Formats: sequence, C-alpha cells, structure tokens
Amino acid sequence: MRSPLSAIHWLAWRNPKRRAENLLRFAEVEADGGRDLVRAAEVTRDPLLRRLFLKHALDEQRHADLFRRRGVALIRALPDRSASAVQAQWLTPGERGLDDLRVEDEGDEALLAFLHLSEKQAARDFKNYVAVLGADAATRAVFEKVLHDETFHMTYTRNQLLRVAPERAGARIWTARLRRFWKAYLRLAAALAGLIGALILTLQFFLVLPPFALLARRAAKKEPLGWAPIAPERNGPLERQY
Amino acid sequence: MKILGISAHYHDSAAALLVDGLPVAAVQEERLSRRKNDAAFPLAAAEWCLESAGLEPEGLDAVVFYGRPMLKFERILTTALRAWPQGRSAFTHAMKNSLGEKVWVRGLIQANLGVPAKKILFTEHHQSHAAAAFLTAPTDAAAILTADGVGEWATLTVGRGRRTPGGATSIELLREVRWPHSLGMLYSTFTAYLGFAVNEGEYKVMGLASYGTPRFADEVRKVVRRTADGAFALDLGYFEFHTTVRRAYSKRFMDAFGPPRASWDPIDLATEDGRRYADIAASVQLVLEEILVELAASLHHETGLPDLCFGGGVALNGVANARVLRESGFSRLFVPPAPGDAGCALGAALYADRIHFGQPDRPLPDHPFWGPEADGAELARIAGEDGLPVEELGDAALIARTVQDLTAGRIVGWMEGASELGPRALGHRSILAAPHSAETRDRLNRDIKYREEFRPFAPIVPAELAEDYFELPPGGLRLARFMSGVFPVKPQWRAALAAVTHVDGTARLQALERAMAPRLHDLLMAYGKASGVPVLLNTSFNLAGEPIVNRVVEGYSTFRRCGIDVLAAGGARVEKRVRTKVQAEAELDA
Repeated sequence: MRSPLSAIHWLAWRNPKRRAENLLRFAEVEADGGRDLVRAAEVTRDPLLRRLFLKHALDEQRHADLFRRRGVALIRALPDRSASAVQAQWLTPGERGLDDLRVEDEGDEALLAFLHLSEKQAARDFKNYVAVLGADAATRAVFEKVLHDETFHMTYTRNQLLRVAPERAGARIWTARLRRFWKAYLRLAAALAGLIGALILTLQFFLVLPPFALLARRAAKKEPLGWAPIAPERNGPLERQY
Repeated sequence: MKILGISAHYHDSAAALLVDGLPVAAVQEERLSRRKNDAAFPLAAAEWCLESAGLEPEGLDAVVFYGRPMLKFERILTTALRAWPQGRSAFTHAMKNSLGEKVWVRGLIQANLGVPAKKILFTEHHQSHAAAAFLTAPTDAAAILTADGVGEWATLTVGRGRRTPGGATSIELLREVRWPHSLGMLYSTFTAYLGFAVNEGEYKVMGLASYGTPRFADEVRKVVRRTADGAFALDLGYFEFHTTVRRAYSKRFMDAFGPPRASWDPIDLATEDGRRYADIAASVQLVLEEILVELAASLHHETGLPDLCFGGGVALNGVANARVLRESGFSRLFVPPAPGDAGCALGAALYADRIHFGQPDRPLPDHPFWGPEADGAELARIAGEDGLPVEELGDAALIARTVQDLTAGRIVGWMEGASELGPRALGHRSILAAPHSAETRDRLNRDIKYREEFRPFAPIVPAELAEDYFELPPGGLRLARFMSGVFPVKPQWRAALAAVTHVDGTARLQALERAMAPRLHDLLMAYGKASGVPVLLNTSFNLAGEPIVNRVVEGYSTFRRCGIDVLAAGGARVEKRVRTKVQAEAELDA
C-alpha cells in the first residue's frame, strides 16, 4: 500500500544533496544504535540475548558503513558540496534504535519490546523510502539490504520477547508503544521549549544587552595582550564559585 | 581527610577520591557510562569511588569541583557581549547550556551526593591542572606550566610549586594568558578545519603532521602572534569560536589555508588536497612547538629550577613535549597520565588537601591505575556461556601462552588489575601485538581499530631496555613513563619495529618499569627472549567511537566484534574459535 506521506518522502529524497545528508545522518544514527546494542549485550545476563544483541550491533555497524559510503558517493558526485541551507531531518526519520533509553536501567523484556517496535517502524520507513527512490538504484539497493536485516531484527526481537516473557509479551509491547509516544511528546516539548527559550534570549540579546555590550567592548579594548599577572588573592579560599 | 574531586560538564568528566592524602580511586565517567568523552555530572564515577572505599557521602570531609562555575559563566557572558551584535546564536546556546545545569554546581552536588553546601569547594580550573601535574610528580620543587582550551578565563598559566616531605606544600601561579588567546583553541580550530572532532581528533592532527612539510608555518604565525612580553595572542579575525557555535574558523582563515576538509572525506596523501592537509597539520604543530619551547625556556630561566610539571590538554601533545624536554633547558619534564580535564578531579582533590586544608605532603604512588579491577572469573563465566574454551592459568603459564600467541602473529586483548585514569592505555586495558611488521599495523587499523591509516601505533618496552631501541634525550625515560613523549626509533631497529615506527622514524613509546605493571613487564621480557626484541605494540583496548574498555564484559564484547584473536583477563584466556557461517547461524537459531 502506498504511504499517505509518500509525497513528503518524495520531496525529502528528491534532492541529491539532501539525500546524501540524510544517508550520512542515518549512518551516525545506526552507529549510535549499534553502540546501544553493544551495551545491551554487556548488561544482559542471558547468553543467547547477548549473542543476538552483538550480532544485531554488528549489523547496525554494517548499515552505518553502507549508508556512509553511499552518502559520500552522492556528495562526491555533487558540483556543490556545501551543506543544504534547509535542514529537514524530521521529514526522514531513520532508525531510532533505543531512543534515549538508558540501557542499564532496563530489563531484557523492556529492551526487546522497545527494539521490536523500533525495528518495525524503521522497516516501514525504509520501505517508503525505497518506493520514492525510483531513479537512484544504488541508494535503493542500500535500503533493500538494510531492510532485509531489519526484518530479521524485527522477528528475533519478537521471538525472544515471547521466550523470556511468554505471558507478558503483549503487555510489554504496549508499554513500549506508550513510552515511545511519551518520548516523542518529550522531544516535541523540548524542541518547543528550546524554540521559546531561543526566542526570549534573542529578544534579550537585541533589547537588553546593547548597553552592557558597549561597556564590555570598551573594557576589552583596555585589556593588554600577552601576560596578565595572577593576584595572590586568587589563590585564596576555595569556598567561592567566582 | 576524605576528599572527593570532581570534574564535569565540558569533556571527560571524572571523580577521584583521596583518603589521608593518597588517591584510593579515580575513574572517568565514560568508562562506566560507556559514552565516549562523557561530560555529564560523574555520578556513577563518584558512586564507584565511594563504594570502592566503603564510604558514604556523609563520610566525606569535602567535595571539590575542578573549576569556578560562576567565573566561567562570567567569561561566557562577557564573550557574547563583546561579540554583539554578532554572536546571537552563541549567546542563546551558551545561556541555555550554562543556565540549564552548569552554573548550579553546588546545588547539583548537594542533590546528587547529599553533601552539605559548606563541604563543597571550588578550585580554579588551572589550579586543578597545576596540582594534577605537580602533586603527582616525584619532585620537591618544580616550575609549572598549564595550557588548554580555556578554564574560567585563563588558557595558559605559569608558576612554581614547592613541597617539603611531610610538611607544607605551595603552588603559586604567577601569570596567565587569558581567553580568547589560547593555544588549545588554536590547535582545536585546526583540528576542526582538518575535519576531525574537537577534543578527540587532536591526536590525528599530530599524527598527520609527520606526513607534511610546514610550508604554511608563516601563515600560522600570523594567526598566532608573539607579544612583546613573550606570550602570544590570536588574531581573532581568523576565528569565529568566540562569536558562533557553528564554526571555529572564519572566512579569512579559509582564504589563508584553502577550503576545509569535510569530516566524511578520507585523507588521501597522494592527492594535492591530502598533502595540503598534512602540510597544514605540520605547520600548526611546528608553531605550537616553537611557542611552548620558548615559554618553557623563559620559565626555566626565571625559576632556575631543573624540573617542569606540564598539565592541561595541550600536554597530551607528545611531539611538543619531547621538544620542550630537549630544548627548554629543563632536566626533567613531568606530564601526568591524565593531563586533561579528567585528571583535574584528582588535581582538585589534591589541591584542597595540601593547600586549602594544609595537610602534610605525602609521596603519591607513581602510576595511573586507580579504576575498577578486571575480573578473570567474569571472563571465564561469559565465555563459558558462549561455548568458547576458557583456560585459567597462573601468571607464568599465561605469559608463556601469550608469548606464543604474539609470536604467531595473533592480536591479544590484555586486561589486568585496575583501569587507567586518563586517555591512554598504559598496560592494564591494552591491545597487544608483535611490533615487527607493517601488516600487523594495517590489520589493526583495518580489522580492529577502524581508523585512519596515517595514525601510528605506540610501542611499549621495559624501561631498563628502552635506550637500546629508542633515542632518548636526558629525562626522556621519565617522559615515556606515561607515553607522553615522541622519540626517534634507533635507525637500526626501524625495520624490526615497522608496526610502531611512524613515517618520520619516531614512536610514542611507553617505557615500563617493572614496579608499575610487573606481569606486563614479565611478558615483555619473555617476548624479548622469544623474538629477540622486548618491544610490543600497545594500543588502547577500544573500538572507534567507544571508550576504553573497563570491566571484563566490555573487553569481551569488543573481542567478539573485531579481529582480536585472544582475550586475556586476570588469569583467564579465551581464543576466538573459527566458526563457519552456518555454525554461527545455527547457534543463534537454537
């Protein structure tokens, strides 16, 4: 079935420069996800999960290499190698891995549920990207390779969840789903807060700071270059923060 | 007294615990959180330090933070004001960053550790560097030089330290060079320009420099000018680090040196651009060395002391250190194993103990091993669960077996005892290999470390035999104790030490005294007996983008993911089994 967002995907992948940047960003995300999986392997007490998480981590590393190589090849073919003026990363989410989950604080069940959902979402996204990459066979081939692994990841996480928590698997997946929504909300809220904060600080910068800026610049002119003596009182008490 | 030192919030956060004047535990947060260069408040590190000493936070006499946060905030705000009307993005970024957490350090420590406010102290950043360099060095009186990106306002300080065994200690910082004029920022700007990560890729610039000729040195001398009083000043027209977070260098910088390298673009030294990058690296390296040598020579002249203690991130530049030792007039140069911010946790605690509380001087153990222990039993358990054959051996048998591995060309992950504080693997969390062939180096780069071909690997050699293989100046042995100096390999040994000899014939060697790591020393001697050369390649036990391994389980996961053939931890030894793809898949399906 064609994704209702296919027009947006087409837009996001149409421009080769943005395509290359997306791929390089995917490479970083996959590498980060791989490191999280290594951590998961180090933390678990279940030997089979340890082996699977390590294999999964190696897959993510391989994906990172595939994305990076293709991204670099695309950039090299561009006449203008500078970064895009428009950054629209939210249009093309890659794999989210374990989001900002602290692996040490989670049990195997929660990790598996979270991974399962994440892989499922990534597989869906990558399938959509393949659909709009018609003319770029090389990039499409990269996604198809990755997609093949994502299917395995999706399956093994589900199977292992059923093994370690046969009666709670469904509940775990629902909990993970709700937590993903919560995290998405937090990300949105943090982005909004960041935007509001930046707006207020920008207003301060232009409206409140100018007289202080003038004083600071005059003071700077008086500062001699080179050595400045250190006053003995600087070696005084350690209670103060200034 | 029980004093906890903390460094945090910029890069390499760490905690260090001092009991009765001696360090008992110190670890970087990244080794526990497994996030490279973790700058977060080092709660896990602090908790580990306390736990390993059997202490509760209320048992502490003081917690010392390695900087003065309000003074730092003042510098950030003033920098933004001076840049007005430019620097809006730097201002908003810095305010959000600082006001979010970084200025509330007292409250943060209170909230996280439950320590009352009156027990929380603050050293100046460069006092922490100075203390980490001077108070860990086996000298009673020394000149002190600290240099890094920036602390509060200071970017470089000079001074002197004096201590009386069992008596009083003084550290007197005499003068400073102030922000934004900074040797650390100069080098970091070139690091960013050359497409490497700041606070991480400076080693790469140093390694790349050996491939170039310093044909841009005059340009670099325009970027950093000498002042009439013997200090230096950056020409801020070449920089943007003080006005924006987007880029450290300006258009004028690019006009002078050409287009910057993109981080994803590999350096190919056969191309014109590749050679230009190497020449630029060589140029900034040369100018940095010149300035450091002159500053140190003038300090030597002023203090008349034979010893120099050098701290701060710039002291990680082993090539410059070796030149300072050779040319400044000092007889000995002490660089601690963690001269950067991680070592400031220990420095801050030592400063509070000796200077603030006036505790009597005590000589410190002269080694970097203050972190968590490697447990061989853990390796035996995990590898056993994965069906790998585990051998549990005594020291002599393990050494004999490892010598066999190394002579057969196998690459060995080596974990023993407490982990190192600082960025270098000094023998307790190392990857070891035979140093003879360039193929080993290429294999390590390709299959294990996944890093650039131009980066050299370091050798480790018994201290008493170091001068047989390397050209060490007087005092060189001391500088090589913690791998802090780069020295020439003797020409007759360069072919036999091809994997550790850099393109310019040098090596960043570690000269190991037996007392520091007896088992590794014995391994070197045994390897020497078997191969004729008691030198091994020693590189940090980690993969690209990951911190050095800490616990055995991390060593094991690294071993499983890369081309390391053998893992030895404590007395346990595991060798990688060669499996077919079908076997591996069958195991996972089971």
